[in-house]
Amino acid sequence: MNLFRLIIKEAGYRSVSTLIILLTVVIATLVAISIFTMSKASEDETRKIMREQGLNLFLFPKGTETIDFFSYDYSATFDEEYVDILANSETFDAVRHLVGMLQLIVPGWEDPQGRKHNILLVGYKDEAIQPYLNRQELMGTDVERGTVRLGFDISRFIPEESLFRIRGEDGNIHEFLITERMEEGRGMLDQGVAMNLQDMQGMMNMSGKINKIEALGCVCHDGRVINARRQINQFLPDVEVKELASIANARENQRLMMNKYGSFIIPFVIFASLLISGFLFYENVKSRKYEIGVLLALGSGRGKVIGLILGKAFMLGFTGAILGFFAGTGIADYFGREVFEFTAQNIRPRWNLLFTGMALSPFIFMLASWIPALIAVRWDPAKILSDT
Amino acid sequence: MIKLQNISKTYPSSSGVFYALRELSLEIGHGQYIAVTGPSGAGKSTLLNILGGMTRPDHGDVLVNGKQLYHLSEKERNEYRRVKIGFVFQQFHLIPYLTVYENILTGTSGRNHKSNIHTLLERFQLENKSKHHPSQLSVGEKQRVALIRATVSRPDMILADEPTGNLDQENSKIILDFFREYHGEGKTVILVTHEPSLSELADRVVHLRNGIATFV
Repeated sequence: MNLFRLIIKEAGYRSVSTLIILLTVVIATLVAISIFTMSKASEDETRKIMREQGLNLFLFPKGTETIDFFSYDYSATFDEEYVDILANSETFDAVRHLVGMLQLIVPGWEDPQGRKHNILLVGYKDEAIQPYLNRQELMGTDVERGTVRLGFDISRFIPEESLFRIRGEDGNIHEFLITERMEEGRGMLDQGVAMNLQDMQGMMNMSGKINKIEALGCVCHDGRVINARRQINQFLPDVEVKELASIANARENQRLMMNKYGSFIIPFVIFASLLISGFLFYENVKSRKYEIGVLLALGSGRGKVIGLILGKAFMLGFTGAILGFFAGTGIADYFGREVFEFTAQNIRPRWNLLFTGMALSPFIFMLASWIPALIAVRWDPAKILSDT
Repeated sequence: MIKLQNISKTYPSSSGVFYALRELSLEIGHGQYIAVTGPSGAGKSTLLNILGGMTRPDHGDVLVNGKQLYHLSEKERNEYRRVKIGFVFQQFHLIPYLTVYENILTGTSGRNHKSNIHTLLERFQLENKSKHHPSQLSVGEKQRVALIRATVSRPDMILADEPTGNLDQENSKIILDFFREYHGEGKTVILVTHEPSLSELADRVVHLRNGIATFV
């Protein structure tokens, strides 16, 4: 008689007991999935908010007095190559989205009406690709050569269809096509102009030089800035790292708290469900004592009896994982929207969890039924049958 | 040929040790019909379980065709029970969630017994009940299913423990007629019974009292 058929028949016969065990599996999976889904949603949200905050680590030439950074005549620089050295390192992973910049205050820029202003010029090097790290969506401000993007305050002075004109250090007027007029609220860039780094270097006679690298610190447990400083100073001792502390700290703490919570509650729930389902499997096996005795008396091996018990655990674990995944995702979606207002939009089915659950859950619940199975095969069929 | 030599079996009891069998020696030749009689607690079922490879004696040897039964591996003893032995119990011991047909299949050793099962179902007037569950059968029908399960693989020996104990006269006759027929085919039948009338059908009677055998 086919083992699978025997398992199905028995499960149908003891449907209440089977459903209770299945429910335990579903609850365990559901709790694990819903917490994990919400914690991932929270993590995604943190990442998103951090990205929206902009790049939060600034790399300056060592000894830079940031209080003087935007002075007219401030000129501490380092080589543009520094960006590539960091990007091409196999071991440097504390920082992402490396953007080399030359950022200077230019006094006496004349608007088309002839008035003079001090404006901020920012030359952007294209964001460096870090070939040894996973590809991510670019965050840098890549500006094509010959073009500029105008900050809101400057944009107001320049009519539509006009070019942006500025006198360079060489004494010549340089013209640029305006590709974007930025919205208000971009901080210092409201009074600034974003251009290609090479254009700016040429115009300012600062070929190959930059004075700042902006980057995004990793979400590291030992702290973004500490980790970044340690790694960067291994390569470039004449660079110093400053962090722009922000709301991202709070979001990161929230994410870490969520992860800690998940890392406690998920194993706890799985362990508790192992104990409960182990007990339920034992009760189920006890109620099957008589038929196990019959099978052993008729010459079925102990392997077949173990197969019957573990096979049932496997099937319930597998089915429970699927049901638990959808229930858990549903609960995360329903309650997550209430509890985690900001993370709600990131709550979505994590399909990799379904496949992980389908692979792991059967083995976890086979483990739970292992002791009951061992007890069952030690029963004496002669005694069982004489007792009934 | 089965040879029991100085078999003893004890069980722990409230008063110390209970002797189910004491120094029992017995030879069972191929194709014999043996009735085992005696009062309750005389050791009849224990003897059957020892012969069936289910209960290891405390002392003594059980030789099946010259091989020590309890020196065989567990797998080999399972094989012995599955292929060589057919058990028939007083309580039938059918599995409640399996149909008649599926219950019979549990007594097979994986070979194709389909036509054999149908022949036996027909012989015992159960052909229309193959999809019924045990709870849908009468007592007599249950025992007939148990008998088919025990003999579908055509084992060399039937071990029957009070097979008619719960049956009316008509059903008892069906069972006993089948045993006689099976024995007529050269198979061994060992029948444990309380009823003296049933022992008259046997070639030999082994009477047990307090674990000690008296041969008739």
